[in-house]
Amino acid sequence: TIGLQVSSGLQDLSLRDRGGRRRDFHDLGVNTRQAMVHVQESKTGFSGKMIKLTTNHFRLTSRPQWALYQYHVGYSPEMEARRLRSALLFQHEETIGKTHAFDGSILFLPKKLENKVTELFSRTRNGEDVKITVTLTNELPPTSPTCLQFYNIIFRRLLKMLNLQQIGRNYYNPSDPVCIPNHRLMVWLGFTSSILQYEENIMLCADVSHKVLRGETVLDTMHSLHSQVGEERFRDACAKELIGLIVLTKYNNRTYRIDDIDWDNNPKSTFRKSDGSEMSFVDYYKKQYNIEISDWMQPVLISQMKRKRGNIQGSVALIPELCSLTGLTDKMRSDFNMMKDLAIHTRLPPEQRQRELGRLLNYIQKDDNVQKELRNWGLSFDNKSVSFTGRIVQGEKIFQSGAMFDYNPQFADWTKETRGVPLIRSMPMDSWLLIYTRRNYDVANTLLQSLFKVTPSMGIHMNRPSMIEVDDRTEAYLRVLQQRVTSDINIVVCILSSSRKDKYDAIKKYLCTDCPIPSQCVLARTLSKPQTIMTVATKIALQMNCKMGGELWSVEIPLKQVMIVGIDCYHDTVSGKHSIAGFVASLNQSVTRWFSRCVVQSRGQELVDGIKTCLQTALRNWSKWNKSLPSRIFVYRDGVGDGQLNTLVNYEVPQFLDCLKSIGTDYSPRLTVIVVKKRVNARFFAEVGGGLKNPPPGTVVDTVVTRPEWYDFFVVSQTVKNGCVAPTHYNVIYDTSQLKPDHVQRLTYKLCHMYYNWSGIIRVPAPCQYAHKLAFLVGQSIHREPNLMLSDRLYYL
Amino acid sequence: MDKNFKEEFRQIIKFEPPLYKQRHQFVKDLVEKYKPKKVADLGCADCSLLWMLKFCSCIEVLAGLDICADVMKEKMHTLSPLPVDYLQPSERSLTVTLHHGSVAHKDPCMLGFDLVTCIELIEHLEESELKKFPEVVFGFMAPSIVVISTPNSEFNCLLPGVMLYRHPDHKFEWSQAEFQSWALETARCYDYSVEFTGVGHPPTGMEKVGFCTQIGVFFRKYPQTAESVQSEKPMEAVYKTVFKAVYPSLKDEKYLQNAVISEVIFTAQIIKHRLMSKREEYSDDPERKSKFQLSMDCFSDYLGKLVVEKTMEPFVSGNEVYIPLTTIFSFPKVNRLCGTFEKLCKLIAGKVTLSSDGSAVMFNIEHENEDN
Repeated sequence: TIGLQVSSGLQDLSLRDRGGRRRDFHDLGVNTRQAMVHVQESKTGFSGKMIKLTTNHFRLTSRPQWALYQYHVGYSPEMEARRLRSALLFQHEETIGKTHAFDGSILFLPKKLENKVTELFSRTRNGEDVKITVTLTNELPPTSPTCLQFYNIIFRRLLKMLNLQQIGRNYYNPSDPVCIPNHRLMVWLGFTSSILQYEENIMLCADVSHKVLRGETVLDTMHSLHSQVGEERFRDACAKELIGLIVLTKYNNRTYRIDDIDWDNNPKSTFRKSDGSEMSFVDYYKKQYNIEISDWMQPVLISQMKRKRGNIQGSVALIPELCSLTGLTDKMRSDFNMMKDLAIHTRLPPEQRQRELGRLLNYIQKDDNVQKELRNWGLSFDNKSVSFTGRIVQGEKIFQSGAMFDYNPQFADWTKETRGVPLIRSMPMDSWLLIYTRRNYDVANTLLQSLFKVTPSMGIHMNRPSMIEVDDRTEAYLRVLQQRVTSDINIVVCILSSSRKDKYDAIKKYLCTDCPIPSQCVLARTLSKPQTIMTVATKIALQMNCKMGGELWSVEIPLKQVMIVGIDCYHDTVSGKHSIAGFVASLNQSVTRWFSRCVVQSRGQELVDGIKTCLQTALRNWSKWNKSLPSRIFVYRDGVGDGQLNTLVNYEVPQFLDCLKSIGTDYSPRLTVIVVKKRVNARFFAEVGGGLKNPPPGTVVDTVVTRPEWYDFFVVSQTVKNGCVAPTHYNVIYDTSQLKPDHVQRLTYKLCHMYYNWSGIIRVPAPCQYAHKLAFLVGQSIHREPNLMLSDRLYYL
Repeated sequence: MDKNFKEEFRQIIKFEPPLYKQRHQFVKDLVEKYKPKKVADLGCADCSLLWMLKFCSCIEVLAGLDICADVMKEKMHTLSPLPVDYLQPSERSLTVTLHHGSVAHKDPCMLGFDLVTCIELIEHLEESELKKFPEVVFGFMAPSIVVISTPNSEFNCLLPGVMLYRHPDHKFEWSQAEFQSWALETARCYDYSVEFTGVGHPPTGMEKVGFCTQIGVFFRKYPQTAESVQSEKPMEAVYKTVFKAVYPSLKDEKYLQNAVISEVIFTAQIIKHRLMSKREEYSDDPERKSKFQLSMDCFSDYLGKLVVEKTMEPFVSGNEVYIPLTTIFSFPKVNRLCGTFEKLCKLIAGKVTLSSDGSAVMFNIEHENEDN
């Protein structure tokens, strides 16, 4: 057989069996549906019209009565080396067969050995006789979690056999890259795959994946940073740009995350090898890989190892010159031109995406070795993806100041329809500041004139602002703010001449913490085009109105006495020390006002403790606004990583319940907790006239590709201009609402209409997007909890 | 020899670094010394020697042969190019091939090698195979250098637990005299010279036992002629290829072109960036000018000393920036990649936007700073 050396996936498996910590990316074995009686029978909705869908899932088929046999393998005398253990065992291929997977102690076979316990005798090279005891420990049905993990390992083996390169969790084809020389980028096409038990079948979910690689070494990047920022800010700039990035090395096939940069060391420094001897990096790479390090002054990169494996303890040092960067930095992501150039290659429209996927499956079907391996394990895949019907739920009407608006549901956008219509609640701008540099004097005036034109129809009363000219320096802006901002100011508008983050950060920090007044920063460039200025001014007016506590539009929310909560997290990759949870809760019946707080948590602390406090204050505020406590609470929890579901179910939900109990003994509202996941591999395609199209907004999927042990569903709420639309996955992990699944789905879709920074439908419920915005602002710019005076407004939009 | 004395050694003989590493290091040293371009490892087993050799920059063709396909396949993926090899293709070309077959059979794919290594191979051969082995390796393959290593049976008494042979699959283990007479006879027969050495020194006082692993290095005495390679009649391939990896290399026009385009555009952008920020800074804040110049100095240090003649100055015209190709060509990295200016022009033709006379890279900056 191929790949006797069992993949690291299987090692993980055995690690867990030995009680070690490992992460199960698929959250297998977390069964939340069983506790919810009302969805035992059915978790499907019913409203809307049917739509024929196809997906990127492929059925896995195995022969009848298929099982996987798990054996424990013991050695007497005890053998330490895994290689030796394997070699000794495989001397008995005539007994155990040619098809096997072995990690040194656990052996998987596709067939059952004659006896429950088999004793084998081997001899080592040193002539030592060894008794090997192979004991059957488990007979695994195809649906068992272990078996599913095993399928995934096998499938990864297959991809490896197809000569695809593993980077991170996915596999890529290096031989036909797309080069984007303008940005020094290279894109590899690859696949992400997972095999799971879905509603009725075990299926392979495969998707096209793109890996962005960079044709430069970390040292190259450091040099160009040096030229950009100069000596003084060089180290800071390196830390900001590089920490958190994943690198590939010149000499092995591993990826490392840069966790730190050690400026006190260089390639001439020595390190301790596993045998205890000291050696310099220069000598080591020369001796081991024949690589000459040319720059002896460069610092070394530090990567923390998550797991202690073998002799590698704690962290590894890497040489910048020998590391290549992968992926995109935040800075690159915000580079519009770069993203546009990338999108051409990475945003595949539905048909092309399915075609690429078809190519992979074709490789698999055609490759003899792969087929042999599959056959040996008694497995095969359907080569046609599964089709089923989904539902398109009814479109939502938009209400604004007593008027009701229809819009084209295909576009999922009502910008045009609601233009020039009074807002639900418009906030006056009686007293406000407009701050700009001399160079931007004209732009400031243009903005002002445009605002005067667009605000009256919205119902916003606006006075002339205090116009203040400043030098283009951070300190100058701050000085003006300190002198001029008083508590009767409605809002501060700053026109910035560059997107340099430090100025923005300083302004936001001051006006969110020390002096809590809403603020709006505008890039001068955005205002420089006469043809778009009215659109821009309209958007800014709406945004400012929300920041001051205004309300724009609403949808019909039939539930009464309900509080809706959104939670999202931001993880600070630069310092790696902070995590921030944004917490947003509705305050009124129409779900147009929000209470917002955030929790700043240092590494190792659990976010949930802070979230509990947030929930308590949110309830207090809700009761202040409504003169009672909510009888229903919906929590939309975003920012949950793969493999963290268990923690959420067993730790966070009980904390929510505790918190509710602490409000009062007679208070027991109905609670629903829904985990929101944007990054899913599932894709749906509508079959339209023989071709494939993106499914329209409002498409709900709650069969076939959902998981039997969960109360989950997918909603496609947004539209995309190019590429494939990504559905959002909703997993109801706790629910005492007694609501029908259909109602929960509808409510979820409704909430996707309520994000005020976008007059259209978005990917996630508005509270999640608000929570994300808040956490992002705090994590990126403010770094501590904003002043609570602002908490009843969307000041972070 | 005193029995107790021998017993004592049984306990303590342990090679550091381990013997297999010493054997590999021996081959590597040989490669460093003679710089062969084409190297074959017969009996390559888990490919660990091949893996080590792939880092030797003189080698362009690397081949492995083993009678057991499974053991080769186990680790053959370590011989595949790494992602970084695609990102930064190397100057040299490298092809790694693994063949499944026997050293008792001739296959034309083994012709034309400079170095053939047979590390711990011959003792695994059946008598009949061993008989054919010299004709295949020395007669047919006829490389400039052959390295053969095999256990020295005289050393076995010092190794704990060795009853008959060191490994159950060994068909024989030779004393120094046995190996040397076989080697000398083979060398004489096929017109090679042979030098004997080994790795794994015997303990002090036991020197006459010899090295734990004995090694013979054979040098072909006659020069390789085109005729001698071709004299063999065209024959059928009997080995089965189980693995083949062609490393990306700048020798391959496809990779060279990509590398040149990428470097040209990158260089042009650096120059453009410099030009644009110069314009911007001068028009604005005098305070930052000095800082800017400081960073410029570090910058040109990194790029190597630039000789920028007046005629090669980049310039802005309306919404377009022009960077002369001659300027770009003066950058060391571009220069090294292309060699000649003509080659540069040829490689980027049609792939990079140029001015109408083809003398400069052109950028349109109209939409440069648009975002959102």
